[in-house]
Amino acid sequence: MTATTIHDIGYRHYGGPRLGRGYAIRSLYSNSLRGVFGLGRPGRAKVLPFALFALMCIPALVSVAVRLVMAKLVPTAPPINLFPYRAYIFDLQAISAIFLAAQSPQMVSRDLRFHVMPLYLSRPIRRFDYILAKLAAMFSALLIVFAAPLTLLYLGALLNKMNAWDQLTQYGPALGGAVVYALVLAAFGLCVASLTPRRGFGVAAIIALYLVSYGAVSILQGILVANTYDSAAGYVGLLSPYTLVEGFQTWALRQEHTGIGYVEPGAGGAVFVVVVVAVLAAALGILVARYRKVAS
Amino acid sequence: MNGTVLSLTFRGMLGRRRSLLLFALPIVMIALAVVIRLIVGVDEDTAVPMLQRFALGILLPLVALIAGTGVIAPEIDDGEIIYLLAKPVSRWSIVASKLVTAIVLTVAFTTVPTLIAGVVLTGGAADPVPGFAAGTIVGAVAYCAVFVLLGVISRHAVVFGLLYALVWETLVGGYVPGARAVSVQDWAYSLTYSMSTDLGTKPEVGAAVALPLLAAVTVVALCVAVQRLRSLSLTGDS
Amino acid sequence: MSTIKIEQASRWYGNVVAVNDVTMTIGPGVTGLLGPNGAGKSTLIHMMGGFLAPSAGAVTLDGEPIWRNQGVYRKIGLVPEREAAYDFLTGRQFALANAKLHKLPNPREAAERALRLVEMTEAADRAIGTYSKGMRQRMKMASALVHDPAVLLLDEPFNGMDPRQRMQLIELINGMGAAGRTVLFSSHILEEVEQVAAHIEVVVAGRHAASGDFREIRRLMTDRPHRFVIRSDDDRRLASALIAHDSVGAVELAAHGGGAALHVQAADFGAFVAAAPQIARKNGIRLWEVLPADESLESVFAYLVTS
Repeated sequence: MTATTIHDIGYRHYGGPRLGRGYAIRSLYSNSLRGVFGLGRPGRAKVLPFALFALMCIPALVSVAVRLVMAKLVPTAPPINLFPYRAYIFDLQAISAIFLAAQSPQMVSRDLRFHVMPLYLSRPIRRFDYILAKLAAMFSALLIVFAAPLTLLYLGALLNKMNAWDQLTQYGPALGGAVVYALVLAAFGLCVASLTPRRGFGVAAIIALYLVSYGAVSILQGILVANTYDSAAGYVGLLSPYTLVEGFQTWALRQEHTGIGYVEPGAGGAVFVVVVVAVLAAALGILVARYRKVAS
Repeated sequence: MNGTVLSLTFRGMLGRRRSLLLFALPIVMIALAVVIRLIVGVDEDTAVPMLQRFALGILLPLVALIAGTGVIAPEIDDGEIIYLLAKPVSRWSIVASKLVTAIVLTVAFTTVPTLIAGVVLTGGAADPVPGFAAGTIVGAVAYCAVFVLLGVISRHAVVFGLLYALVWETLVGGYVPGARAVSVQDWAYSLTYSMSTDLGTKPEVGAAVALPLLAAVTVVALCVAVQRLRSLSLTGDS
Repeated sequence: MSTIKIEQASRWYGNVVAVNDVTMTIGPGVTGLLGPNGAGKSTLIHMMGGFLAPSAGAVTLDGEPIWRNQGVYRKIGLVPEREAAYDFLTGRQFALANAKLHKLPNPREAAERALRLVEMTEAADRAIGTYSKGMRQRMKMASALVHDPAVLLLDEPFNGMDPRQRMQLIELINGMGAAGRTVLFSSHILEEVEQVAAHIEVVVAGRHAASGDFREIRRLMTDRPHRFVIRSDDDRRLASALIAHDSVGAVELAAHGGGAALHVQAADFGAFVAAAPQIARKNGIRLWEVLPADESLESVFAYLVTS
């Protein structure tokens, strides 16, 4: 009996340097980010995200175009801003809400549904790395969706020969707000989506929670303001993702207030910051707890 | 209608996370009603817009979406539906039983909370409350039929249902009255409007037109769903 | 008597042809549908089960089309490949639901009978979600047998079964075949098909490659030489004697399972079988073992697939 061997027919054991954990995390991040926009997947998967992205940008383009035309036709008229930086994301929240609801489950539910988590976790990637990579990817995707129209507005303004510094003082904080929006929404969306392996139900759950919370908040705010409980109306904004970030933006980024209700400039308004941080921490905690049960 | 399909579908819907969400959403509405009542007391001018916007405009389409797609789309996705289809049971009874389940669930989680919220807000079961309740019932029937159809024909039923309910009915309908005239929400509201005295915003379409439209949409959706179910192809994995 | 006839059926998806002009008749008894993965077995079974329409041709049961014909399910029991079943039901409830959906006059009794047949009566009160893979497979069988169908279609039924369950299933299938039912199962595990199916249908790359008893199929393959392994008391002399005969194509002295043996390739099966003993006797060589080396289903299959 001969000893067991493997003959050299081309199979080679790889003993050289491997790219390691960081590379794996970066790959997961970039793969997830591309997947949000449907890149690297069949054509149909690109339709919805790009359509929504286009919808987000169109008002910015319209605004720039209108100003260009008005400047030509009525040179003495002051420049109008159809869709100002400040309220852009908030006013178009339905679009980004659908984007979030449609794409979050697509990012995490499939891995859960087809039980591939053990495959991921048997590689150098840890559970926390997986969560961070996915959150970072969703955050980046949302940031792109938010920052692009704001940037278009800014570039359009420069094109229209408006005061660059003046524009920058509006564009900058709006970008800051976009960052916080992207953070909070990504955390919220991925948290809810990871709780169910069914993609359709994940979509329904995210949109239901968003819509019901926003509906309740805006109705309540309307009633409170009509009865002169202005500051209470401001605080009610804590209860829904978009209004929460709006409050944060008003207080922390020294923006003027949009929407209704009144966010106090002093310590009272700081509660928005606290809640934002708490929401992010809670979402992270839920994700960690969720993924601890998976594939163990 | 088939009793076994009814019972299977009911149990399938009520045993899972879906039922958690279905419970949570109306509770928010009732809590909101209670808070509003505490702030402003009984005031029909606040009750009506709240019920119209929240009960008809948000709760009804969402619950119908979850129920309507949930009674059939997961079964097709998993392949479980083969146990219903490989039987000498008419496709009509299968679809009808699932639709009835969806409607009953939607009515339970929309009409009943609407009644409760209405009573809380108006201090009694008088004028706009029955109208809104009736609106949710007819809206439930039509919405569920449309969403069950979506569940049969598309793997992305929920997203399409969402695009319809959110983008078409709310966003586009908010700016373009013509679009509002072609929406289940408006037709359901027109029944409410006709049953109540002086509600303020008028519906785009009168009740005499809206009710037949709702019935037509329901019947057409049912027929198409049955046809598609007859030719459902299951091709093995995924 | 229930016969499924597939007449020149084809099925394509865009540019991909899954089933290519297949004609076969599945009659009473046990038939094995054999083919490598991706050969179109599942597609054929789905067509026979009424869940896929042929793009061309016809698939009928006793003359009536199966597609879009829900009445035909009175006669057909289908055991699908996918594992999904209603996880929240217990086994008993699931069998009962199936019996009721078949509109049987006495559903409870039928359900119990089906559970007994697949030996699931002890575990029948647990939720299906808690079952192992083999138990789920048996539940699927129960759901297909509850209405005592004349035709039973099983899509890869032996997937994931342990040896004892496999034996049980083989017994069950053989019993049903002996009782005159039409049983068709698909598999790519050749040993099982060998043990169960008298009649096989081989499908390769969407085409119908062969049909019938596999030994007969082998014999029909005259372009492939038959291989034999012979042990005798003087292999070398036998080899030189055999190679002199017309029917022998090649001889090889090699080891075979612990010991020397003579491998013979014979082009003409019949002539060789008649001539070999005579050659041995003429040369005074005692034959200890003469085995056909490639009459297994495996080699038949291999020939068909690579041809």
